[in-house]
Amino acid sequence: MRCATARKRLSDALDGALRPGRKPGVEAHMRICEPCRSYRDGLVRIQAGAALPDAHPPGFWAAFERGLDLKLAAGEAGRAAVAPPLTVRRRLAWAAAAAMVLAGAGLWYALLRPQVSVTEAWVPYEDVLGPLVQAAEADPELAAAVDREVRAAIDEMMPAEDADAVVLSAADPLFWEGLSDDELRDIVTELEDETGRGGPL
Amino acid sequence: MDERPEELLIEEARKGGREAFAELARRHERRVHGVALRMAGNVSDADDLAQEVFLMAWKAIGSFRSGSSFYTWLYRIAVNTSLTFLKKRVRERDRVPFDENLPVGTAGRGLSRGPEAGAAVNELAARIGEAVAALPVHFRAAFALVVDQGLSHADAARVLGCSENTVSWRMHKARRILQARLKPYLEEVRS
Repeated sequence: MRCATARKRLSDALDGALRPGRKPGVEAHMRICEPCRSYRDGLVRIQAGAALPDAHPPGFWAAFERGLDLKLAAGEAGRAAVAPPLTVRRRLAWAAAAAMVLAGAGLWYALLRPQVSVTEAWVPYEDVLGPLVQAAEADPELAAAVDREVRAAIDEMMPAEDADAVVLSAADPLFWEGLSDDELRDIVTELEDETGRGGPL
Repeated sequence: MDERPEELLIEEARKGGREAFAELARRHERRVHGVALRMAGNVSDADDLAQEVFLMAWKAIGSFRSGSSFYTWLYRIAVNTSLTFLKKRVRERDRVPFDENLPVGTAGRGLSRGPEAGAAVNELAARIGEAVAALPVHFRAAFALVVDQGLSHADAARVLGCSENTVSWRMHKARRILQARLKPYLEEVRS
């Protein structure tokens, strides 16, 4: 053991803070090291001589208490009212923070929750429906029933079409009224090429 | 002699009972005065400092958490008030350095009380007092709590707001400084 280590541990020992397992090492060092023994003796003398003088003149503490009473009376007006312990306030703060986080998470889920696509939604049922689709290939009635169910399921999962959206088709006269003359001419030409008949011009 | 348990006195003081707080102060005045004396270095300043500590404690008793150690809380106020006091003290800046050649009682920051009390202490004790008073303030605070008040490193660490290891090192360094400064006197006593 080095002298520096031994002296640090001597200081701990004087304060009653030396771990029991370290004591034998310190004692062994003291047996072989005269400078450290001298250092230890010095520490012991300092410790013994460091006691504060406790002899106070008669009436010292009575005078001290009278002076203190006067100061306490003067300071009473400024004494802080009993405040709730800090721990209570901390708990309230944590509860408020937790409530805000929960509210934020709920709002996020309500507004921005991830949408499942039809393709992704199909995957978990693929294994179950596979044998059914195979059986339906041999039974037209079953095939029709499966087809209806699959289409109904897909329709259910698909977003509803906007009822207000205007969907124009060739059967709707408005479709033709919205086209320019050039567009109508191109359509007629294409129909004549394909079918030999023109459109409703 | 007031026999009420300390917890009851604390609770009454928290509710504004000045008489209960005065009793608490009476029970702890010697300890607090001891810390103040070690930190201030003279009785006159120590008296003012100790009273200031109790005044601060009285103002802050509402924030004392029941279940905590009252004396640890009080010591913390004592050390913090002492550090503030020492910073403010003008003469701290021009502290007379410890001089082993000066006769006892003229080194400036000793704990001597004048001729009547000075006769009661031997030369080595007076020199030790002066040397401790000349320690850096944080070493002195650790010394006051551990050596004078008998606190464990763990309790001193709670008061000082540092780790036990820090207290251990401060005590070790304080003792090394004291050894170096007092070496001539220690050798003299030995011979």
